[in-house]
Amino acid sequence: MQVSDLGDHISRRYDQDLEQLRSDVLKMGGLVESQLQSAITAIVSGDSELGLKVAEDDYKVNKLEVDIDEQCRRLLATRSPAAGDLRLIVAIIKTITDLERIGDEAEKIGYLASKLAAMDRPSDSYRELKTLGNHVSVMLRDAMNSFARLDVDEAIRVAQEDDQVDEEYDAIARQCITFMMEDPRKIKRSMNVTWTARSLERIGDHAKNICEYVIFMVRGKDVRHTGEVDPTDIAD
Amino acid sequence: MSELSRKFLIGLFVFLATAFAVGWFHGEPLIGLLLGAVITLIYNIRYLLAFERALRNDDFAIFRYGDGIWQYIFSQYKFQRTRADRHKATYRSLLREIRRSTNAMFDGAVVLNANNEIIFCNRAAKNLAGIKRKKDRGRRVDNIIRAPALSKLLQSGDYAQSVEIPSPLNPDVRLSCRVAPYGGSQKLLFLRDITERLRVNKMRRDFVANASHELRSPLTVISGYVDALVDYPDLPEQWTQPAIEMRSQTQRMGRIIDELLELSRLESAGLADDKHFVDMGSLITRVSEQFSIDPDHAHVRLQIESNDGLLGSATEIESVIQNLIANAIRHTATDGDITVTWRRLDSGAELRVSDTGEGIAEEHLPRLTERFFRVDRGRSRADGGVGLGLSIVKHVLGRHEAELSISSEIDVGTRFSCVFPEHRISEPFSRRSSVHG
Repeated sequence: MQVSDLGDHISRRYDQDLEQLRSDVLKMGGLVESQLQSAITAIVSGDSELGLKVAEDDYKVNKLEVDIDEQCRRLLATRSPAAGDLRLIVAIIKTITDLERIGDEAEKIGYLASKLAAMDRPSDSYRELKTLGNHVSVMLRDAMNSFARLDVDEAIRVAQEDDQVDEEYDAIARQCITFMMEDPRKIKRSMNVTWTARSLERIGDHAKNICEYVIFMVRGKDVRHTGEVDPTDIAD
Repeated sequence: MSELSRKFLIGLFVFLATAFAVGWFHGEPLIGLLLGAVITLIYNIRYLLAFERALRNDDFAIFRYGDGIWQYIFSQYKFQRTRADRHKATYRSLLREIRRSTNAMFDGAVVLNANNEIIFCNRAAKNLAGIKRKKDRGRRVDNIIRAPALSKLLQSGDYAQSVEIPSPLNPDVRLSCRVAPYGGSQKLLFLRDITERLRVNKMRRDFVANASHELRSPLTVISGYVDALVDYPDLPEQWTQPAIEMRSQTQRMGRIIDELLELSRLESAGLADDKHFVDMGSLITRVSEQFSIDPDHAHVRLQIESNDGLLGSATEIESVIQNLIANAIRHTATDGDITVTWRRLDSGAELRVSDTGEGIAEEHLPRLTERFFRVDRGRSRADGGVGLGLSIVKHVLGRHEAELSISSEIDVGTRFSCVFPEHRISEPFSRRSSVHG
């Protein structure tokens, strides 16, 4: 049973290559998702070892990016794809860049987690970071799901969620500034918390980008930098 | 040729021959033949039209009687179709039953084809992992459940083991995945929610760790005073012995707590890292020397047949060797023999401690590595064993992916064999001097 959304080419090999390429992107997505999840766990539970492990494992994400890039180049050179296939490959090239950035942010969060673990922990054990982190990782998961299922409606919904993430980030940043003004001894910790929140917020942006590539891939419409993503605008 | 076709052909031939004969009688044989052929054609076309009408109205009553070839064909058609319909209905209701029963299962089940594409999944799979039955049919399962551990399991082809992954729907829910291959290249993927089990396990581990930790501080105070008491010069004569006994018992209690803490640490830790080289030869030699200070026990012989070392944690492996030797000494008479062997196997390497002691009865072997399990409750407490040694051995070996097998024969001896896998074995680095025992 082949899913027909990659089309049927005369060359079966071409179909397989495209399917493989897409699976590899999703594999990379899965790796990034688990990296992000571990990084959030490291922050919340104050597990410095786990945080360092996340930072160390980032090379796996980078390696996958290079591999997929290579595959895309090969397909572009040998098959000269057109229309939907071309959009797929272009979207993949862009998606993996964003995934790799998310991996980098997760690495950063891992480092920060190992630093925060060595400091005093607030009584709420970074609840607001956990909320933001969960929100962002759900966004990333749904973005990858919409990529897997080529589900434009889902992609639109996820892209719109980014505004909420931005709001949560603003709230954390304001809170941290208040803490720093109240007690200069908390500046170091609050800075680290701000940076973590900043990284999470960036991950939300990257997830939104991935959704936009999915819309581009399926509908052929470029919805970047057009303000609000408007569902009626992208109707078939 | 069947009876029916023969009859049909003969009938046709006889009719045409008669037409030809009648024509010939009238002097125009060819026109007679032509008329005969046209009549035959009209006769057969009528049946064709009647069949079309019967198909349209689904009424085959007109073909029920008669024994011509057309009646036969049409009644056969009707018969086959009724039978097929009946079978289809049976299969459909059977399928519905199967689907209903699989939906009633608590575990998620996903049927996969050779390319790991989803063919079918039940409701639990949807609730646990967010697989959509219609939308995801034909998609690769590792595209939907993207946990790296699962795709590794599917690619490895080694379906004996299960992996634990976070649920794609909720990272706090942990799923255990198992793959069962069947019917050639198809696979069945099982997903089970093990969050509760993990939570209970963690609670138990935390309890043991916290309780041991809490016990340690009062014990430190007690043992401090007891030490002072033993050294007190004006201690009445009749209290000297009890004080010494108190000291040895508090020390023993401290040891139990230390080992419990060590055990709970080992339990919660993952695999030991495989970056550090442990020189087994010199480690075994060093550990056995600790025992030769006190000559009042069975002789410990070393058989170090390989320079290769182990990749893992030296302190943990040291405690394995120490526990195994101490255990052997406790259960072997002073004139017995204990042999510690380190040797390469075809794949991997073996650490073996065998003694010529009293042996362990068969029925106790499976429970030997349980905490505080004692074969003979009264006896072994007196000789200083804590009851956690073999438990620690088992967990350390688990962390080093090794397998522990115990074989024993009453009054002949016991053999503990730890087999380490090949990728944990390393040749000594060139700059290290290897030590032979």
